[in-house]
Amino acid sequence: MVRSINEAVLRLSPIAIVLVVWQAAASFHWVDTAFLPAPAAVARALGDLLSGHEIRDNLFVTLFRALAGLFLATLSGVWFGIGMARSWVFNAIVSPVVGATYSLPKTAIVPLLILWVGIGNAMGILAVYLTCLLPIIVQTYHGVCATPAVAVWSAQSLGADRRKILWQIFLPYALPDIFTGVRIALGFSFVVAISAEMIASTTGIGRLIFMYGENGSYDYMFAAVASVVIAAFLADRALLYVSARCLRWHESHAASEIGAFG
Amino acid sequence: MSGDTAEPKAGLRSYALSTLSIAVILIAWESVARAKLVPELFLPSVSAVLLALRDGIADRSLPIDLGVSLYRAFAGLLIASVVGVAAGIAMARSALIRWFLDPFVSLAFPAPKIAFLPIFVLWFGIDHLSKVLLVAFSSVFPILIATYSAAISVNHLLIWSSLSLGSSQPMIMWRVILPACYPRIFSAFRVAVPVALITAFTAEMVAGGGGMGAALMYSQRFFESPTVFAYIVTMLAVGLVLDKAMLAIRDQFPSWCESN
Amino acid sequence: MTSKITVRAVSKTYNSDAGEVLALQGTDLEVKQGEFVSLVGPSGCGKSTLLYIVGGFLAANGTVLIDDKIVDGPGVDRGIVFQEYALFPWLTVRRNILYGPRLQNLPAKQCDEIANRLIDVIGLRNFENRYPRELSGGMKQRVAIARMLAGDPTILLLDEPFGALDALTRETMQDELLRIWLEMRKTVLMVTHDVNEAVYLSNRICVMSARPGRIVEEFPVNLDRNGTREAIVLSDEYNRVRNKVWLAVRQQAATQTTRA
Repeated sequence: MVRSINEAVLRLSPIAIVLVVWQAAASFHWVDTAFLPAPAAVARALGDLLSGHEIRDNLFVTLFRALAGLFLATLSGVWFGIGMARSWVFNAIVSPVVGATYSLPKTAIVPLLILWVGIGNAMGILAVYLTCLLPIIVQTYHGVCATPAVAVWSAQSLGADRRKILWQIFLPYALPDIFTGVRIALGFSFVVAISAEMIASTTGIGRLIFMYGENGSYDYMFAAVASVVIAAFLADRALLYVSARCLRWHESHAASEIGAFG
Repeated sequence: MSGDTAEPKAGLRSYALSTLSIAVILIAWESVARAKLVPELFLPSVSAVLLALRDGIADRSLPIDLGVSLYRAFAGLLIASVVGVAAGIAMARSALIRWFLDPFVSLAFPAPKIAFLPIFVLWFGIDHLSKVLLVAFSSVFPILIATYSAAISVNHLLIWSSLSLGSSQPMIMWRVILPACYPRIFSAFRVAVPVALITAFTAEMVAGGGGMGAALMYSQRFFESPTVFAYIVTMLAVGLVLDKAMLAIRDQFPSWCESN
Repeated sequence: MTSKITVRAVSKTYNSDAGEVLALQGTDLEVKQGEFVSLVGPSGCGKSTLLYIVGGFLAANGTVLIDDKIVDGPGVDRGIVFQEYALFPWLTVRRNILYGPRLQNLPAKQCDEIANRLIDVIGLRNFENRYPRELSGGMKQRVAIARMLAGDPTILLLDEPFGALDALTRETMQDELLRIWLEMRKTVLMVTHDVNEAVYLSNRICVMSARPGRIVEEFPVNLDRNGTREAIVLSDEYNRVRNKVWLAVRQQAATQTTRA
């Protein structure tokens, strides 16, 4: 994490350099600005979108679909994962279904969902939900299975019954893995929400990007893409922060290590 | 004796129950469809889907579409592998390169790459190139990050031993660093392949231009449910086959690394 | 006087990758109230397995009675400490210790008393709000013992409690445990691979045979434990018993290697 202003500047300066080169390329016509609008133009467009209601109306819709689907998937995914880890019967029945969907490209079900629930929020949330279930189930399952037997036995010898052991032993032990699963699912949620919008929707930032592309308003298109990239980045950071707080007690800060460079 | 909580028994009973579970689902599906409890549009019968599959194979449309999508996915993966491994190692060996690429990787990693599709279409058209490059863009990050983290953890002692035995820098690269990174890079591949497939299919669904995704949207627009299902089943099968193939490859070259 | 713990004709088989393994066969053991009994024997002889069966964590054939009542699961009357500490990493030292009392819904004031007393006994007043990951091995084991004692069990089961500690810490902890036992006079059943430790702490040592294990020899230990560690360890009685037990264990270990 950033420790000082100096460090922040140092880490971000490559982006600044690229922006300068990009702006120069546009101003001196090294590239055709029809295909690559200058950063100044994109920034202006972004400002317009932010001060108008395009971002509010569309990006927030996308965020709502992604996060609602993610939230529901977390609740049910953890439930399924625990169930599969604790009961071999449940596991035997459910895991072939889970395993089959593992290999299915999730956006493929969007046309199916369109047939079933039409286009709109329900379709988006459902698509996100079905996609995010998998990593959360898998991670929860592994987390619970990896709980050391000695921890369970210690709790039993101190008087814990089955329910208490589930909530007070298995769940905390699985928490780091669950957070990993949620982080993976967060990435998926954005991709699926936007894909679903691009395929068939009348609202959402995916739709907006597409529309600007078709209209030829490329600086607005770039600006909309930038807004999504920033939103996804911030959401990821927020999750990392929350998981670091919740996992203060964890031995290796593994929950905050996976993926990019901190 | 005091080890992990036992994983649910993977015994004969489990397999039997799993098979039963799938069989029950298929039978329920077929019964519900035949009894027309749900409109045919929503749930075509298993037999109708199989028929659509057979027709698709017979008139070559399914194999052609599949071929197009797979070509795009693997071409993109190839580019992503070369770029990802090279960049990962470069970042591990050179602080300058790491400083330069770090913010871009951190920014791009959580971003939904599919949002860039309209940009790629603008630059490269709607045929193969834009999709191949989008696939490459999507799959490069897991490979890059895995290569980087594997490369920086290559034991210094290995490199020093190799140097004292008279190896030159390129030889160290090929003979020491790459083999040491192989397990983690391979795991990243297992992630990158599904990503490549999803990106190719989705790009086709959104922008058209041939391939499984475009064909899928086409049948959906004409409400041909059996064909929609047939294409989804094919995608599922392809994903499964590729994953199993990768596992088989991995087992052929067992890694000498402790954790697998 | 009836025995506190009675084990009769207990055998235990468990499944491993190599097939079925017979860990214990026809084992008998009796422990009286207030005794400190150690189980020693060659590696893999099943001493930990026997301990877990007494604790109710593993099922087995045969009879296991606590106070003449059949054991059918874990219970608050039998506290346990493991070699791996098994502290709950998300709870502070204080909350770990109070896990048992909180489960029993003891009033807050009583919980505070228990926690304060035990934290002082183990000497970790300055660390009571730290997490286990901030503690050394010796400190973690002290917390594990305190947690067990907070549940006020009548029987203490110790599974190689000091096995993971360095020699100096181990001696300190042994003295702590001895002091606690002399004060509380609870019944203790301890598994250890360290013969010196067994002689130092227990008043009876049971030697187990190689796998499949059963108790083959017993040695009463009559030491005057009121003196210093030096006085005890240098005494004739200590060394006499220690040599006998050590030989017995080596004999059992030898049968294992000749058979294997």
